[in-house]
Amino acid sequence: MSQKKAQIQVEQKVPESIVKKTQRDSKLRDLVVKKRAERLGQNKVRRAQLEKSAQAYEAEYKATEKSLVDNIRKAKSEGGFYVPAEAKLILVIRIRGINTLNPQVRQTLRLLKLRQLHNAAFVRINKATIEMIRKVEPYITYGYPSRTVIKNLIYKRGYAKVNGQRIPLTSNTIIDQQLGKYGIHGIEDLIHEITTVGAHFKEANRFLWAFKLRGPRGGFIAKRRSFINQGDWGNREDLINDLAKRMI
Amino acid sequence: MTSVPLVSVFSADDSTKVTAKHIPLPAVFQTPIRPDIVSFVHTNIAKNRRQAHAVNPQAGMQHSAESWGTGRAVARIPRVSGSGTHRSGQAAFGNQCRKGRMSLPIKVWRRWHRRVNIKQKRHAAATAVAATGIVPLVLARGHRISQVPQIPLVVEDKIESYEKTTDALNFLKRFGAFEDVQKVVSTKVVRAGISKQRGKKYRVRKGPLVVYFNENAKLLKAFRNVPGVEVVNVTRLNLLQLAPGGQLGRFVIWTQSAFAHLDKLFGTYRYASVLKDGYQLLRPLLTNPDLARIINSNQVQEKVQPAKTTKVLHDVQKKNPLKNTKAMDRLNPYAKKQRAAAVAAIKANTKGTKKIKKNKALKKASKAAFNKVAASLSDATKAAVQEEQDIKVKYFSVQKGAAQAE
Repeated sequence: MSQKKAQIQVEQKVPESIVKKTQRDSKLRDLVVKKRAERLGQNKVRRAQLEKSAQAYEAEYKATEKSLVDNIRKAKSEGGFYVPAEAKLILVIRIRGINTLNPQVRQTLRLLKLRQLHNAAFVRINKATIEMIRKVEPYITYGYPSRTVIKNLIYKRGYAKVNGQRIPLTSNTIIDQQLGKYGIHGIEDLIHEITTVGAHFKEANRFLWAFKLRGPRGGFIAKRRSFINQGDWGNREDLINDLAKRMI
Repeated sequence: MTSVPLVSVFSADDSTKVTAKHIPLPAVFQTPIRPDIVSFVHTNIAKNRRQAHAVNPQAGMQHSAESWGTGRAVARIPRVSGSGTHRSGQAAFGNQCRKGRMSLPIKVWRRWHRRVNIKQKRHAAATAVAATGIVPLVLARGHRISQVPQIPLVVEDKIESYEKTTDALNFLKRFGAFEDVQKVVSTKVVRAGISKQRGKKYRVRKGPLVVYFNENAKLLKAFRNVPGVEVVNVTRLNLLQLAPGGQLGRFVIWTQSAFAHLDKLFGTYRYASVLKDGYQLLRPLLTNPDLARIINSNQVQEKVQPAKTTKVLHDVQKKNPLKNTKAMDRLNPYAKKQRAAAVAAIKANTKGTKKIKKNKALKKASKAAFNKVAASLSDATKAAVQEEQDIKVKYFSVQKGAAQAE
């Protein structure tokens, strides 16, 4: 004979610790959701700003190129010569290894961030840096990088020095966190600062870790000779771009 | 006043009958369980039953063996003197030699025994007693106590007057302790190894430990022949019996007076021990062991920082933005438009697309015309053309072969 068991309503008491924990967890979750929404909103604003500034830079670059061309044409038409401004920025590439180095040369290369073979770095041109470069000339090759080369270097081989660590530039947040206070919020801002050697070039350049390039496809000519003497070391002005393209 | 755990004393004749209800647990059972102390004390105390032994000091050395020195194309080990037997000239004395003495022969004056600080020994005993009252520990040690009515099992003093083994057995059966005895019996095995020839033939497990109080108790003889059961007076509790092998949680059967004596023996948390001079029970590190409650309490949660998430500074793998459009778009929001503009520019600049197509069409038409002509050639001309082509093929393949051979 089957009898239905009387349904006794037992008040299920939930343990106090569980109640507290669920309350706490829900509060934390709300916080997280709120923060995320905030962050996404901020990101949207930032990305719009970055796009706008990138567009502005593009226009600026075009304008500078056009003005150079126009000036040359104008000078030609007047029978004169247009001497463009001296380069402000050079790309230095170390072409000699670490063995048997003069200690001063060793130290200077270290100061230029060139601790390893085929390391590349941007250097601003002033009296001080010119002297440094002169000291290490047989161990480096350098020249005036084009905009494309700068861009490619930073995009493909760009790493940042953050807390002494080498962090890849995979996102603008890394740049924004470190250089935001200098008005550099994204990678295009960084590239612009380097190409135009702006007011915060020092901070932007220090933020960048030395570029670790590969050996050049097609090889060097003769590292034992200067570039002028059908070799490789020293100033090769605009031809650094060809070498850099083979090394990026 | 905080609640004290209570224990019932069972009647010796009837396991369902309780002669004394709600006796407070002696404070020993509240001591913190310290397996580290127990294992340390046990390893040392276990050495104290050892008897000195040694190898014969002359073993392997009863030769006048001498090394032959160098120059005789043999190793420099001492060799047995004399002649006329195989043994002469054989190596002797060394531990590596056959029939040589062992290295570092065991001496009788080896330090066989270990002394342990009294306090440590007492703490170990206390903790071992405490462990006998914890069911999971007793079960973990391997005792079969599923039918035992209560742990710790306290029985009236009547069992102290048992003289017959049958009484003892029946008592154990009544209280579900016989299963443990059966375990001992069924798992008696011949010992592996040489010691079976040296008087230790069987390996026997430990069963229940019966603890009594009155010195004139006869139960020792009654329980003596029950396999696995040990009997001990409460004043002489032995760590080697309470935690055999250093493992806590022996199944113990207490008599009422033995149980009551424990407070005097070990003392309580309010009073030091009477019988162990100056001994005070070990105090636990935590007074409130409910960690979950502590962690979730308001006082702790108010001070606690929110849990840190692992902050990933960057992707594990760097993607090349010059090749990977997603990576590029993430870095440069303007890149998408730039790409679109570039594509549009290419399209705008390719005015000659029609020309290319036209050239292709032209090429096709010319080839068709040629084939038509070729088909209309006479057989002789065809053969001549074929011959010329064969020569060319041959010539070029020869050239290739020559080049490859080089």
